Amino acid sequence: MTRRERLHLRNGLLFAAPWVVGFLFFQLYPLLMSVYFSFTDYNVVHPPVWAGLDNYRELFFDDPLFWKALYNTLYFTVFSVPLSLVFSLSIAMLLNRKIPGMSVFRTVFFLPSIVPIVASSVLWLWVLNPESGLINSLLQQFLGIQGPGWLADARWAKPSLVLMSLWGIGGAMVIFLAGLAEVPQTLYEVAELDGAGRWAKFRNVTLPMLTPTILFNLVMGMIGAFQYFTQVYVMTGGTGSPMDSTMFYALYMYRMSFYYLRMGYASAMAWMLFVVILTATISVLISSKRWVYYHGD
Amino acid sequence: MATERTTRIAGLALLLALSAVFLLPFVWMLSTSFKHESRIFPPPGRPPQWLPTTDVRDAEGRIMVWYRGEAAAELGVDEAGRHELLLADGRVVTALDEEVEIKQRIGLHWQNYVRAFEMMNFFQNLRNTLFICYMTVLGTVISSSLAAYSFARIPWKGREVVFVVVLATMMMPYQVTLIPLFSVYSALGWVGTFKPLIVPYFFGVPFYIFLLRQFFKGIPEDLSAAARIDGCSEFGIYARIILPLAKPAIATTALFQFLFQWGDFLNPLIYLQDSRQYTLAVALQQFQSQHESAWGPLMAMSTVITLPIIVLFFLTQRTFIQGITMSGLKG
Amino acid sequence: MRDIIKHINDAIVVRDSLIYLIAIPACIVPALLLWPRTAGTGAERRAAAQGRTVIVYWDRHSGHEHESRRVLIEEFNESQNEVHVRTLPIGYNALMEKTLTSTAGGAPPDVLSVDGGIMAQLAAQGLFMPLDDLIAEVPILNPDAFMPHIWDMVCFDGHVWAIPTTTDTYCLLWNKSAFRRAGLDPERPPQTLKELEEYAAKLTIRAPSGAIEQMGFLPWLPWDQSFMWGVLFGGQWYNEETGLVETGSDPAIIASLAWQQSFTIDPSSDNNPPYALPAERIQSFTRGIGDYMSANNPFYSGKVAMISEGEWQVTFIPKYAPGLDWGVAPLPQPEGVPPIAFGPTCVADVIPVTARNPEAAKKFLRWFYSPRPDGRPSPASDYNHAIHNIPPRTEEALQDRFTAHPKFRVFVEQLLHRPVEAYPVTPCTQFLTDTIGRFREWVVFRRMTPEEAAMAIETLVNRELERTRALLERRRP
Repeated sequence: MTRRERLHLRNGLLFAAPWVVGFLFFQLYPLLMSVYFSFTDYNVVHPPVWAGLDNYRELFFDDPLFWKALYNTLYFTVFSVPLSLVFSLSIAMLLNRKIPGMSVFRTVFFLPSIVPIVASSVLWLWVLNPESGLINSLLQQFLGIQGPGWLADARWAKPSLVLMSLWGIGGAMVIFLAGLAEVPQTLYEVAELDGAGRWAKFRNVTLPMLTPTILFNLVMGMIGAFQYFTQVYVMTGGTGSPMDSTMFYALYMYRMSFYYLRMGYASAMAWMLFVVILTATISVLISSKRWVYYHGD
Repeated sequence: MATERTTRIAGLALLLALSAVFLLPFVWMLSTSFKHESRIFPPPGRPPQWLPTTDVRDAEGRIMVWYRGEAAAELGVDEAGRHELLLADGRVVTALDEEVEIKQRIGLHWQNYVRAFEMMNFFQNLRNTLFICYMTVLGTVISSSLAAYSFARIPWKGREVVFVVVLATMMMPYQVTLIPLFSVYSALGWVGTFKPLIVPYFFGVPFYIFLLRQFFKGIPEDLSAAARIDGCSEFGIYARIILPLAKPAIATTALFQFLFQWGDFLNPLIYLQDSRQYTLAVALQQFQSQHESAWGPLMAMSTVITLPIIVLFFLTQRTFIQGITMSGLKG
Repeated sequence: MRDIIKHINDAIVVRDSLIYLIAIPACIVPALLLWPRTAGTGAERRAAAQGRTVIVYWDRHSGHEHESRRVLIEEFNESQNEVHVRTLPIGYNALMEKTLTSTAGGAPPDVLSVDGGIMAQLAAQGLFMPLDDLIAEVPILNPDAFMPHIWDMVCFDGHVWAIPTTTDTYCLLWNKSAFRRAGLDPERPPQTLKELEEYAAKLTIRAPSGAIEQMGFLPWLPWDQSFMWGVLFGGQWYNEETGLVETGSDPAIIASLAWQQSFTIDPSSDNNPPYALPAERIQSFTRGIGDYMSANNPFYSGKVAMISEGEWQVTFIPKYAPGLDWGVAPLPQPEGVPPIAFGPTCVADVIPVTARNPEAAKKFLRWFYSPRPDGRPSPASDYNHAIHNIPPRTEEALQDRFTAHPKFRVFVEQLLHRPVEAYPVTPCTQFLTDTIGRFREWVVFRRMTPEEAAMAIETLVNRELERTRALLERRRP
């Protein structure tokens, strides 16, 4: 190691020290404990009892609801993450121009992210109401078709939740706007000199410059979607109804740990989910070396 | 230029349409907060009422109703649910419930707000919330920007791996670490104080470390290099160049953390052991009891809690969306 | 290039060094201004200073129910000078998280109120202190004073684990106006299951589009009640003697599931009962109805003509639907099944084993459940009255305040005069009821036969029971 490398290592660790210390103090112990719990029968009240691989065996071979919950969660992630990403980026693009009332628009698109969910859930129940809800009334009135049963129908419950999640893009939009503001105007000027049109500018300047924020929103979107919990808990009462179609992974895990007192089993579930998310994230990070461009490099 | 204008107008029209959809939840909450409890939920099969209305009363304070197209004052309701009505011509009639419609006019039912403030110790809750929000924002900004600087701007060996560990801590669902984490704070004697809610934020928050890292990486390396040649220390570069340049990203971090803490209900509920320590989000729970939710006051208090956030966002959004000003730099 | 960078650098360095000089002290000021005062009210600190023991009480309820409790606790604090109780409303949204983390993490309250079902589950795991001595020394708490089904909920494994505070039961509510419109006698509710079905068909009104405008009756409104229907059919979800679920071979349980299923039309059959409705229409209807506790509760608004509901409605209906003309009667049962009342659970007070001041906690409980020295009823009775629940002690339930109202009286008498079935006391009761509810959906939407569901419930719950018992067994010294 050269002197320079040593200096970098020392400085790097010094700057990261707050996080390292916090990790060792507050996070490592709970994480290690949950690894241990996953190999035990642990009912929270008594000390855990060693159970070897029993929990994992049951997960894989003896619990259809586990697979159902995993499927539901993957379904939600696969649809909601890309859709939210495209949607929030589109809105950020629309809001990144000089238009009258810009501040108002930006605030409006951020609004659903700050209205307390207990307050907005009531509205949602009406919007998705199969008989007199907003969406089905519009479908009936303008297209003359009978809308689906949304949350009441096992086939439509997950799409309903994906649709709902699109309202919560405010945070991603703000981050995209911050990213867009960083694109140096000079790059657009250069592109214009080369005769680039609107699309070419977006494709060759905006998109590459935005890749760091796209990476961020993609990774955080995935981590959030895999652990999707609060909205479904509020909207369906956390029962997985109708017919287990909204039994999401985190919801099932929550029921296991706090309703049925099977903290060991829930910990095994958590670690399986952890492996899934970690694999997905690392794949994205590795691929990002090819598509993410940092202006500072 | 005609096409330029057309696309501009089309874009604006699209924005207007979309924002109407995004305004729904807030407008709904605001409108509901001014409705009488009986008008909050739309009658089955009918769309909700967007404009709040109030009852109309006559000079003697009796509720005015419609009965077969005639205005009448209600004198009372008997055991079987029949209404005794006084018609305009002085006749008194008995009417079935379904024949009577309570007269409404557009108006604000302010009582929800009055009740909401009576139902909780608002200023105590507000002070607790502000304290926790303020301290966590402070801690988050300082500690996360330091760590982000390390991962973005110092090429140390192994930082990629450690960074993945940072991200990995977000992948563990809280449901299974809650209990061991509680034991840690319990062993430290912190349960029942604000410490478990504040201190961890002084040790870097992965979400913001990642966010800031992405932005720090966008700042040209030349700036640091030049500063190093001038003999600036690593901390000097962080404090004097990177932080000022990344102000928008820092502001975003502060805003997001503030919002998260403002709305978080689970952690304060779990660690606080005295209702006088409760935050606004926890106190909001008091509006729901076993079979009954006080929807009017709940919506009123939600509005009271949300409005400052909207104003805050509206006023400050220029700061965090302006981007890192590099207009003076020529590549 | 380098010159420009240097220029910018210098500008930033000068400007921002000044900012830090101002910013850092400025950061401290708000923190000092907002710094929280120490916990506890003045009264609590004075009490501690006087040498009184301060104990903490966690209320499962929040909202107005907690308020009723708080008022009584304040009365206790003023009535004596040894113990001071601090109350904390927990609410439902994170009740289990809060209860479990703090009891497992070593920071429990001195007393807490929990649901009977949760209590049984946790008591079996050894979380609570036996209250045998308290029961023995307070005459008013003698076992015979309680309704028998309530006593069975809190007394098992040879100990008393909790003091029941409140209880509930379900009856049939019917809308008299809807009866009149359908040409039925508004004063005569259905007496048998057959009649209930007939009335349901007559009271159901559909729009030309096929949408349900008025629902005569639906067994899973306002929420899943499969456990209750099984019991009212004379079935047994759990066999106390074998300690196992034997629903797969219980004809009454299977019949109750089949009966619920008969409310959705079987598209492959021409022989559907007249009250059956298309499954999608039912789904739309049940999702489309108003909020449970609002003027648009489907029963209040006349969208549902008959419904199975609890005694709290006696107070809520006049409040939300003052014009509603309604009656209340015991729920109809199939012919040949002896009359049964369903009283699922209770809310009870427990003392965690790790409580710091169990003696002071018992002092408080003794006060709360005993009649006042001046002869007025116990605070527990006042509490039931304030939140419109039924007191689980026979003598209190018979007090005028609970029987004077003719409708409330129907509920109370059903608990006193019929054998009462409740949720069984097992370490897996929550799992049992959840599993029943899950499979009920599969049955009524015809993805499973009642027999298959009954068998699946038996298999799943027994596996859970066996596992839990094996685990508990390993802990016995």
